[in-house]
Amino acid sequence: MKILYQIVAFGLLVGGYAPVAQAQDTNKQRTKPMVDRATLVAFHGPESQLHRASVALADVVVAGKVIDEKGSGLPGVSVIMKGSTQGTTTDGEGSYRLSVPNERATLVFSFVGYTRQEVVVGTQTTLTVTLLPDDQTLNEVVVVGYGSQRRQDITSAISVISMRDIGEQPANNPNQALQGRAAGVVVKQKSGTPGGNIFEVRVRGIGSLGAGSDPLYVIDGFAVGTSVGQNLNPNDVESISILKDAASTAIYGARGSNGVVLITTKSGKEGKVGINLSLDYGIQSTPRSRRVTMLNGVEFAQFKKDIFMDGIRYFQKREPTIDEVPIGYRFPEQTKFSTDWFGEIMDNNAPYTDMNLTISSGKGPIKSLLSVGYYKEAGTIIKTNYDRFSARSNLSGQVNKFLSIGMNINGTYTKQNLANTDGRSNLVGGALLMDPREPVYNADGTLRPYIGGVDGAFGFPNPVFVLNNVLRRRTIFDLLTNLYADVAILKNLSFRSSINAKITYNNFKDYIPSTIGLSVASGTAGAPPRIATSQENTEQLINYSLDELLTYTPNIGANHNINALLGFTSQQETVRSVAGSANTFPDDLVPFLGAGSIRSSNSNEFGFSLLAYFGRVNYAYKDRYLASASFRREGSSRFGAQNKYGDFPAASVGWRISEESFFPKTSWVNDLKLRASWGVTGNNNIGNYPSLAFVGANNYILGNTFVPGKVVSSFANSELKWEKSNQLDIGLDLALFNNKLTFTLEYYNKLTNDMLLPISIPAVSGFTTSLANIGKVENKGIELGSEFRTSIGQINFRTNANITFNRNKILAIKGANDMLYYGGFYGGYNVQKVGRPVGMIYGYKKLGIFNTQAEIDASPRQDGVIPGGMKFADTNGDGVITYDTQDMVEIGNPNPAFTWGWTVAADYKKFDVNVLFLGAHDFDIYRNIEASTMNMDGVFNVLDKAKDRWRSPENPGSNPLAKNSQGGTNFFKWSRESSERYVYDGSYVWLKTITLGYTLPKLKSVLSDARIFVTANNLFLFSKYPGNNPDAGVRGGTELNNDDESYPVPRTLAVGAKINF
Amino acid sequence: MKKITALSILFLCLTQVSCKDDFLVTTDSTRIGTDLFYQNQAQFEQAVNGVYGQLQTITNAAYLFQEFNTDNTTLDFNPLDRGGAAGWEALEFSTVNPGNGEISNLWNLHYSTLYNINYALEKLGPSTVDATAKKEIEGQLKFLRGYHYFNLVRYFGDVVLVTSTLKNPDEAFNLIRSPQAAIYTQIETDLKEAATLLPAKHVAAKVGRATQGTALALLGKVYLTKKQYPEAVTTLKQILTLGYSLPAKYADVFDPAKKNGPESIFEVQYQGGNDLGEQSNFMYVFAPRLSQGAVTGFANTAPAGRNIPTNDLIAAFEPGDLRRDVSLQASYTLNGTVVPIPFINKYRHPHTITGRTDNNWPVLRYADVLLMLAEAINEASGPTAEAFGYVNQVRTRAGLKEVSGLAKDAFRTAVLKERRVELAFENHRWFDLQRTNTPAELAAFLNAHGAKEKAKPTVARGGIAFNALDYVYSDFEYYLPIPAPQILINSKLTQNSGY
Repeated sequence: MKILYQIVAFGLLVGGYAPVAQAQDTNKQRTKPMVDRATLVAFHGPESQLHRASVALADVVVAGKVIDEKGSGLPGVSVIMKGSTQGTTTDGEGSYRLSVPNERATLVFSFVGYTRQEVVVGTQTTLTVTLLPDDQTLNEVVVVGYGSQRRQDITSAISVISMRDIGEQPANNPNQALQGRAAGVVVKQKSGTPGGNIFEVRVRGIGSLGAGSDPLYVIDGFAVGTSVGQNLNPNDVESISILKDAASTAIYGARGSNGVVLITTKSGKEGKVGINLSLDYGIQSTPRSRRVTMLNGVEFAQFKKDIFMDGIRYFQKREPTIDEVPIGYRFPEQTKFSTDWFGEIMDNNAPYTDMNLTISSGKGPIKSLLSVGYYKEAGTIIKTNYDRFSARSNLSGQVNKFLSIGMNINGTYTKQNLANTDGRSNLVGGALLMDPREPVYNADGTLRPYIGGVDGAFGFPNPVFVLNNVLRRRTIFDLLTNLYADVAILKNLSFRSSINAKITYNNFKDYIPSTIGLSVASGTAGAPPRIATSQENTEQLINYSLDELLTYTPNIGANHNINALLGFTSQQETVRSVAGSANTFPDDLVPFLGAGSIRSSNSNEFGFSLLAYFGRVNYAYKDRYLASASFRREGSSRFGAQNKYGDFPAASVGWRISEESFFPKTSWVNDLKLRASWGVTGNNNIGNYPSLAFVGANNYILGNTFVPGKVVSSFANSELKWEKSNQLDIGLDLALFNNKLTFTLEYYNKLTNDMLLPISIPAVSGFTTSLANIGKVENKGIELGSEFRTSIGQINFRTNANITFNRNKILAIKGANDMLYYGGFYGGYNVQKVGRPVGMIYGYKKLGIFNTQAEIDASPRQDGVIPGGMKFADTNGDGVITYDTQDMVEIGNPNPAFTWGWTVAADYKKFDVNVLFLGAHDFDIYRNIEASTMNMDGVFNVLDKAKDRWRSPENPGSNPLAKNSQGGTNFFKWSRESSERYVYDGSYVWLKTITLGYTLPKLKSVLSDARIFVTANNLFLFSKYPGNNPDAGVRGGTELNNDDESYPVPRTLAVGAKINF
Repeated sequence: MKKITALSILFLCLTQVSCKDDFLVTTDSTRIGTDLFYQNQAQFEQAVNGVYGQLQTITNAAYLFQEFNTDNTTLDFNPLDRGGAAGWEALEFSTVNPGNGEISNLWNLHYSTLYNINYALEKLGPSTVDATAKKEIEGQLKFLRGYHYFNLVRYFGDVVLVTSTLKNPDEAFNLIRSPQAAIYTQIETDLKEAATLLPAKHVAAKVGRATQGTALALLGKVYLTKKQYPEAVTTLKQILTLGYSLPAKYADVFDPAKKNGPESIFEVQYQGGNDLGEQSNFMYVFAPRLSQGAVTGFANTAPAGRNIPTNDLIAAFEPGDLRRDVSLQASYTLNGTVVPIPFINKYRHPHTITGRTDNNWPVLRYADVLLMLAEAINEASGPTAEAFGYVNQVRTRAGLKEVSGLAKDAFRTAVLKERRVELAFENHRWFDLQRTNTPAELAAFLNAHGAKEKAKPTVARGGIAFNALDYVYSDFEYYLPIPAPQILINSKLTQNSGY
């Protein structure tokens, strides 16, 4: 209903303008020169006054050519006489011809992506102008919250990523483009699931313990939420601005705390008509070097034999006879099969194809861009894949002098064939654990459904069979659309009204046939047939927002520059879902719910609403002293009745020292700017109804008949309020040597207060947790970014590096000594403790392995330990290592000391190259999977390094004192608890992307430009970490770096072509 | 003029949403807010049902603390996967520490239930529900409060007494443990009131709820536990006139087709065979791990193998005791092979859907009352003929000859033994042992049992030896530890000594 209401209002608005627009048209015909003048003033500011008088005078014809830095003609360059609307654009060869009134006229040459040039005509009639690429130059316009600003005027911390600089790289998600490109922005690819939403983006650390740390994504002005989703084709992205400090994000109020990612999509360029076709084809694989090595069939049989015999030797204190050894592994050398189960589920040549066609036109009143894309990716795990079809239409145009409108529509359809892959109890981890003595196929070539369960090895369904027979599919229809109208109310007052909507239909379906057995089942108890199960969920999401912006740029003299913004926004999201499940299917022939004998269904509806008023003023004095202030007052439905609204102020100042008269006018310093900012932002990711209490169903039977029952589900907390962050930022921008070398240095300190946290409360209250505004987290750090570009002969060289040092610290939870434990006794803990960084890894400190009973007797009591068990430290000194968390301490820090990214790009004649390195240093990973892949019970296959295990005091392995050596040959206790044993240093340097390109010679009238390239992604990983991916982690939130073996991140090799017609 | 039009449209836009005050007021339309509930009789009936629903959850795990940890049952030891079974092993082998998750659940579930009881009672007082209905609802809630506190005080000793709901989570940090006496005072008050408020019998649609007899039987048990024998006798005798009787066949008591029969005083209700989610699955928890379908009747099930009858209990059945085969089986047959792992048979009945059985759980039944009465009379006035009569009613049905001529001590022993076999696997053993022994006696008794199990385990251990501390009981284990997380959260909460 509310949507309708707003659409009607919007219609009223546009409708209201139609007569105005018409009136303007009539006006225009009658008194053309006057209107021209008015427009000219409105659009070009004070300096144009000088030229006003000369508009209608006699002509001088100027002709010439605009070329790029390589000497090729640039088509589509706008050539305009300064101070007028008179102008033209260059043709396909870069040539132009223009009449100007006199010799004093100045021509302005501008083209997107190139530096604007102004040339006084003088006596010349032929003017050849070279435009240089406009990267990071001071005049570059940067997209900021609800507007844009010249780079030189910016007083806050904003990183800009131009897709042009990245070169071609395979990307299935826009987040991939953020990786390594911006200081203070850490992007982890947590798994290799095709098309999955697998990137974790953190801007300036983890700011919240309970409410999530994902940034807000804003696509073409529409705040879509904390996930960019799968709906956006990276090929449609023009540029990405990342707002990092509070001065830039406070305008997004309650959602600005974790940074804001502003994505701008491509649009038709002034005067240019283009057809662009891009084709990529690549192959993905998980290289041998990034797989773990498990025992083969013979080795596993030997391992089983050894542990069987070692067990008798230890427990029964005698030498076993060979006849006691079960026949299955009595003679390891006779083992018939040796299966690499992990290898069996991998596709070593998984192809992907990315095809995009873009047609853009910047001629005429309506600029348009139409794009269609098709992306198809096969996963490196067989039978998993991802398809995306996307279509976009971006239109914008001037209806008349006062009104311009625009509309973006983006529709996407994606289909994903999924599998349960991550973790030991799923396919990737599970495949490692399977008995290698078992073959994949029967003698007749058919797949064996169930494997193992013999000789004490646990049984698993055959993962190849599972991948071929389990259906698990997600399809998403996504529509993202903006519609706006810009009205020039007065010469320096404009109004923009926009409506944005996101509509998503998401369908998930799975069917697990009766032929799939149970994982990790002892004996053959897990063998099929099982009860077939199926579920199907459909979710419909509607999110819309309405923005009204008033922009005022008064003209108060040459030295003052003011830009003011006043706005109002409202947003509402509603999600409705229907879910059904069924089991006990008579056969596996009809994988639909209706065929199941037992069915259940559920439906749901939830949502939120917010509305906000905001304003911002930017002021510059003589381009030298800069100041900016913003304020947002925002209300959210998610908070308690007493605290619906929050206030989010911010302010920043800048001083361009290089503009001062006392600053030596050296030729090599182009810009030196100091800036400082402070602001308050919020975080509202706490679910939709946390402040309310509900009754939930808890039914019963009376009179042998079902009766409904109700219980209270939570404490109501009407005092819940915003989680707020105060952030201070001090920055320095320096440009040297004609802008060839630039530096940006930032210091920030972000303090999150009133943190929304589920706290443990005494159970005697009736509940074990309650959400409350408690706790403080501090993130502070230094970011350094630098870029250098130069030309040496015919080589153009560009390099860009950034490094980030972030330190976070929990300042308070509830009490000063509070700790929050996440994780489990056997799976590693992440602990939030006052005075310590977020997510510290917790467990027993390992001292070594007990060799003898005498050593055990001489040590603090460790109940149940036997020789071979790990020796842990009695950290609380009470003489006992208790089997709980009392003796556990910090055993690892998951937060890197620093992270960096380094891009090197160069071109020489027709060739170009672009290389990206990434690094993260000095952080720890809890390699949880090794609790299973080094399980000495003989129930799972084990890592190759198990051959070097502790077996007896005489045979303790090559280095029993090594931190990661595994004990526990004979007894489970004290071998798998959360301990230092599983903690590895994750430091890495990753050669992430290399692209080599070649620009083809021009083919007259057919090809205006074409480029072919080869590229490699995730090429080389330099790390001592034994897992596939040091970015992996199966848990979310603040439970950092718990690697339980995820879908491997593949290496991709691709070729592609980009052709402009 | 045009500008004015434009501006006025602008302000229209700016104000359109903000004038709707309810824009920011949303509620979850899929759930009922507490402010909308607790208004009429139907809703209070549902609140009572909700508490009973919570009782199902508590009952599902209660065997762990009442049978599993005693000489009655043991664990189907899994030598291959001890990591996953560590929590159960700790309970079975008496190596429990305050970090045990099962004990945490036990504590949390009881207090969650008590919250709902207190919440409903608070709302009931000022409500407009009619007096008769109000009386019964109040009786139910008070009986349930007494029931849960009686369990808590026996599990943990001193516990936190909460009889009203908290308005703010912070208040919970000020609550500390009350002495047992104060808890018992509250239990007696609640049960006495419940006995006057509750009806002697329910209409068919409400069968399964507590009755006057239920409140009296529990109150009798409270007196017996507190060794107030004359009060126990008086209270329990009132039940004799309420129309309960022992059906001729012992098996009928557990037959889902004969739920809430003449002997039933209080059963936790379950229903299988449908999708309503109210089923029980005791058989699946209790059946031997590798029995597949041999016990459950559904091929390829993977039972949990907990609560396996011990050799000691099997030997406690006198020859000819008709109850033995109803209660347990000494082995199962899988694929023609006899596997000598015993299992509980009481909750094993044919059912239509895997994992969803129809069995109720007996909490209080007439045989229990008769044996309690016999015990109380013996303690109050020696082994009178009347006392023998009550025991022999139970023995006769079991096909055993009557006992007679026992002295007071021997009679006490006989009644306890009778309780052990008559009420086997019905969650009486731990409290019976606790009630009739001092902490030192209990530790000695269980250590003796442990020594037997260690010497000859009921279930083979795959060559894995016992730990030195397995089955070693100390006096302090008379009570469970207060869950460690609760003390971490609120340091004002004290731990039971020894832990």
